Amino acid sequence: MHIMEGFLPASHALGWTAVSAPFVIAGALRIRTIIRDTPEARMTLAASGAFAFVLSALKIPSVTGSCSHPTGTGLGAIVFGPSVMALMGVIVLLFQALLLAHGGLTTLGANTFSMAVVGPWVAWGVWKLAGRLGLSFAVSVFLAAALGDLATYVTTSVQLALAYPDPASGIAGAALKFGSIFAVTQVPLAIAEGLLTVVVIEALSGKTRDKDRIALLAGGEK
Amino acid sequence: MAIGTLDRAASVNRWRHRALTEKALIGLGFLALALALPPWPGAALVGAAVLGFTFLGARVPLRLWAAAVAAPLGFLAIGVATLMVQIDGAGIALAPDGAERAAGLGLRAMAATLCLMFLAFTTPAAELIGGLRALRVPAEIVELALLTYRFVFLLADSAVAMTTAQRARLGHSSRARWLRSTGMVIANLLPRAMDRARRTEIGLAARGWQGQMPVLHTRPPVCARRIALVLAVQAGVLALGVWA
Repeated sequence: MHIMEGFLPASHALGWTAVSAPFVIAGALRIRTIIRDTPEARMTLAASGAFAFVLSALKIPSVTGSCSHPTGTGLGAIVFGPSVMALMGVIVLLFQALLLAHGGLTTLGANTFSMAVVGPWVAWGVWKLAGRLGLSFAVSVFLAAALGDLATYVTTSVQLALAYPDPASGIAGAALKFGSIFAVTQVPLAIAEGLLTVVVIEALSGKTRDKDRIALLAGGEK
Repeated sequence: MAIGTLDRAASVNRWRHRALTEKALIGLGFLALALALPPWPGAALVGAAVLGFTFLGARVPLRLWAAAVAAPLGFLAIGVATLMVQIDGAGIALAPDGAERAAGLGLRAMAATLCLMFLAFTTPAAELIGGLRALRVPAEIVELALLTYRFVFLLADSAVAMTTAQRARLGHSSRARWLRSTGMVIANLLPRAMDRARRTEIGLAARGWQGQMPVLHTRPPVCARRIALVLAVQAGVLALGVWA
């Protein structure tokens, strides 16, 4: 869920940019190392960034009747790993703002934090944890993608609540307000995206002959 | 809105060949003012000024522009509605200064969106990303973003073709089937994207590619008169916004 351009006050816009910056810089350093060690990964990275962008422009049916867009957060985190997702996320968010009018430049920091930092790390953590608990492949993928989406939406609600606390009940009340309104669209989206990611990963694992290349981006393990 | 729509409009815009500095000064300068000044009258003045540059100067097509500006309106409506109410022990009630806060937020967010739209409709994204070099963003990262940009349109074409083929075969006839079809598009798109990346890489490596993709740019000179005009308008908005 993108916070629109100009929605956050200047101090919050700067604050969230500062919070996201270390993750993005770490991602950039990691990508620099990847590119230096394996120059051919450059194209793979670019293609996967473009893939994430195109994914976010596809329509999927949502339970509430309207249609929605997948975020690709969970899929990206599972396939590429969360560390490179921070920088690729910024690039994708920048293109979404400039090409689709989704999100914005001043809210780039806040959107990066919710969609390219929190979402991927939660998805990746859930994915690893589910693997360790011995859950089945499909259930792990579903949980990772759905909870990654939910974490993104909860983060966005908290970001909005911090900027616009409720006059009577403060930040907690505002988080409840924003959270419950956005739940109407975001909870069905999380479920739909969870199911979608299961379909994608299952189809992919039969198809990808180039696993090494993807694993290389995900953290070097082959 | 299709992926290429905004960028195509930017590529044929009247101000396409104006210096990036001029357009960035308008878009980003007013964006900063929209956020820094109090919404009334600051953001309203910013909105009016940017609309002037968008339609009188750059002559952006109104219908396309309206479609793009409408995209974030749903988010704005929800955000504004949330500010109008408050939650306390007794339940939900109208917030005492809710209407005022909501109007201020609406004004500021719309003014800022108009600034973003000005940039998006007058300057192709590749040019804006290329401009990041001037901000000292590392060259590798800028090149990566530009490569991503080039892949976006190739992959989007594939995705559109696949989706059309599925729809023609009743692939979206029920919700479950639609979800499954979209999953198949994505699952087919990723290996294709990777394959395309590998083939491009091999092709370029065979030609001694070092990672840069220099293309011939015409760098239009910065017009001092126009810069002065923009700065004067911005100074006016700033003065009115602070003292009014």
